[in-house]
Amino acid sequence: MVTGTGSLRGLRAATPAFDRRLATALCCSLLVSAGLAAGSGGAFAADNADAQCFAPAKGSAGLVSLPAKKGPYRIAFANGFIGNGWRVQMLQTLKAYAAQPAVAAQIKELRIVSVGTDVSAQIAAMDNFISAGFDAILIDANSPTAFKPVLRRAKQAGVVVVSFDNTLDRTKAETDLVQVNQDQFAMGKMMGDWLNETMKQKKHVLEVRGVPGNSVDRDRHEGFRQAMAADPGIQITEVVGNWDDGTGQKAAADAMAVNGAVDGIYTQGGSIGVTHALIDSHKPLVPIDGEGENGFRKLIALHAKDGLLGESAGQSPALSAVALKAALAVLQGQSVPDEIAVPIPVANYKTLEAGKNYFPDLSDTFFAAYDFPVCDIKLTPQAIMGHDAK
Amino acid sequence: MSGSSPRLFLRHNALPLLAAAIFALMFGLYLALQPNGIRTDVLVTAANKGVLLALIASAQTLPVLTGGIDLSVGAIVVLCNCLASTLLSGTPTQIAFGVAATLCGGLAAGMVNALAVVVGRLQPIIATLATSTMFYGVSLLLRPNPGGDIDDDFASALTGAVGGVPVSLLLLLAIVLLLWLPFRRSLTGRGLYAVGSSEASAYMSGVKVARAKACAYVGAGLLSGFAGLLLTLVAESAQASAIQAGDLTLNSIAAVVIGGTSLFGGVGGIVGSILGAFILRTIGDLLFVLSAPPLWQPMFQGLILLGAVSFSALPTLRARNRLETYR
Repeated sequence: MVTGTGSLRGLRAATPAFDRRLATALCCSLLVSAGLAAGSGGAFAADNADAQCFAPAKGSAGLVSLPAKKGPYRIAFANGFIGNGWRVQMLQTLKAYAAQPAVAAQIKELRIVSVGTDVSAQIAAMDNFISAGFDAILIDANSPTAFKPVLRRAKQAGVVVVSFDNTLDRTKAETDLVQVNQDQFAMGKMMGDWLNETMKQKKHVLEVRGVPGNSVDRDRHEGFRQAMAADPGIQITEVVGNWDDGTGQKAAADAMAVNGAVDGIYTQGGSIGVTHALIDSHKPLVPIDGEGENGFRKLIALHAKDGLLGESAGQSPALSAVALKAALAVLQGQSVPDEIAVPIPVANYKTLEAGKNYFPDLSDTFFAAYDFPVCDIKLTPQAIMGHDAK
Repeated sequence: MSGSSPRLFLRHNALPLLAAAIFALMFGLYLALQPNGIRTDVLVTAANKGVLLALIASAQTLPVLTGGIDLSVGAIVVLCNCLASTLLSGTPTQIAFGVAATLCGGLAAGMVNALAVVVGRLQPIIATLATSTMFYGVSLLLRPNPGGDIDDDFASALTGAVGGVPVSLLLLLAIVLLLWLPFRRSLTGRGLYAVGSSEASAYMSGVKVARAKACAYVGAGLLSGFAGLLLTLVAESAQASAIQAGDLTLNSIAAVVIGGTSLFGGVGGIVGSILGAFILRTIGDLLFVLSAPPLWQPMFQGLILLGAVSFSALPTLRARNRLETYR
C-alpha cells in the first residue's frame, strides 16, 4: 500500500527547487492525489489533535477517536529486530522522549520487548501485552500482513495499537489502528526527481535496492521508477543492496565494473558503502541519492566540490517518538488520522550544515534525521545516544 | 531400545527429562510472574509460538539423527506458508484440499533434499543450503507481495483453545503419537539411529542406509509443512521472507541441541527437541515478565540459552567415560 503525500509541506520547506517540481508533477496527472492531500488536510485540521505533526497520509480514511482513558498509561512496544544502528537509535529516541518531564507524567510504565525477526514471536508478544492489560501497544512490524488476527484481539480488549516504520497493510476491519510513517513512495519519487534534475548526462543510472519482498523497498522503488519514467532514454541498472553497507558496496562496485561509469546513483540504504564503491571505482564522481546516515552526509560535505552532489533523505528513527505521541493523544480521547505521514527530513549538498543536519564528531552510523521539531520532539543527538538503555 | 526397568528408562531418557525439568522451571517462573494470573489466552499465546518452533525443531531432528543437517527447514516453512496462503479459503472441501496440498508441498521439498543428499551424494550442509535458496525463490514466485486470504473461522479454531487446552498443542501431540512414535519403532526409524551412530556399521549390518536417510529428509519436509500450515493460521497471511526462514532454521538447530540430540547423530529424539523449542520460546517470555532493558535483552537471551545448554550437558560431566553418554 502506498501511503500519503501529506508530507508535501515539509518537503517544500526543505528543498527550494520543489515548487518547480511540484508544478511539473501537477501537470503529470498527480493533480488528483496532491489535491486530495491538501483537501483532506484542511478538512481534518479542525479536529486533529496536532495537524502539523499528525498530517494525514494520502490513504487516510479519517480520524481515529476513542473514548478518553484516565492516565497515566501503560504503554508497550513490541519491537522486532534490534541488530542495527537504526533500531538502536530508534529505541533510544523512544526512551529519551518518554523521559522528558511532560511526557513522563503521562506514562505509568513503558515496557519494551525485542523479539527478533520471527513473525510468530512478535504476534505472541502483542498477545502477551494484551493479556497483561496494557493501554496501548506500539509496533514496528516484521510483516505487513501477519497481524490481522492479533489486531482483532487488541480491538476486542480495547487496546490502542500504533504501528510505525514497517507499517501494516490495512483492511477495513482495523478502524482504530493508527499508523505513523513517512511516505516511502514520495521519498523514492523525490529522489528520482532530484537525480533527474542534478545529473549532467542522463544515460545510465544505478539503482541499489533494499531487502527484497519488503514493502518499503517496493514503495521507494516504485516512486523512483515513476520519477525516472519522465525520461525514457535513461538506462537503469538495478542491484540489491539489502540496505546494508557491505552488501551495497559490493553490489555497486560489481555493477560499475561490469557496466562502466554511471551518471547517477540512487541507493535506498547502505549509502556509505555505495558511496565508497563510487569513490573507489576511480570514475568521475556523480550525483548520488541516499539514506540519512551521518557518515553519508559527511562524505557528501567532503566531496561535493569534486562532483559528489548528494541528497540524503531518510527514515527517521524518531518515528518511534511520534508513534508514542500519537498513542498518548488517542488515549486522552483526542483525534488523530488513521494514517499519519510525517514530513520527510531531507538535506542535500547545498543545505548541509555541520552541527545542524550532520555531525562531524558523531559516528558514521548515527542517523542525522534524529528529531521532529514540527512534532515538538526536540532532542539533542547527545541526549539520544547518551541515554543508556535502562 | 528402551528397557523395561525405570532405571534403564531414566538412563536412556536423561537428556529429554532434564530438558523437561528446565522447561517446567522456566515456564513455572513465567506463569508465577504473570501480572493477571494464569489465563487461557496466556497459554494459547505460548502454545502457538512454541508449537510452531517445536514442529520445525522436530523436522530438524530427523536429518540430525542420521548425522546430517537440514538448513532448508525454515525455507520449507516459508514455502508452505506462501503456498497455504493462496489455498486456505472457500468451502470446507477447498480448505481441506488446501491443507493436503500444503503438506504435499512440504513432502515434495523434502524429496528434493533427499534426492540431493542420497542420490546426489552431496554434503547435507551444502545441499540443503542450496535447496533453501531454491525454495525461497519458489516462495517469492508464489507470493511476490506479502498477503493472503485465509478463512478467519478456520484459523481462529485451530489457533484457539478447546476446554482450556490450546488446539495447536493437541495437534503437536497427535503428530508425536501418530507419526513419530510408530516411525521410531519401525525398521526404518531404528535405521535412522543406526546410520547416525555409524554409517559403515549400519551398512555392514544390512540397514538400508539410503532409505533411512531419504526418509529423514522427506519427514523433515513433511513436518516443516505442518509448521508452514500453523504459521499461516497464526498470521492469516504469508510473506516470502528469507530473514524469517533463516531465523527459524537457526532456532530449530538450537532447539535440537537443547533437547539433547547430538549433532553428530545417533542420539536423541523429537520429544527432546520439542522441549528444547519450548525452552527457547520461554526465554523470550521471561524477558517479557522480567521487563529487561531493551538493549540488554539479546545478552540476557544468550546467557539464559547458554545456561540451558550447559545444564542439559551436565550428564556428560559426571560420566566416568564420555562414551557412556552416547550409549
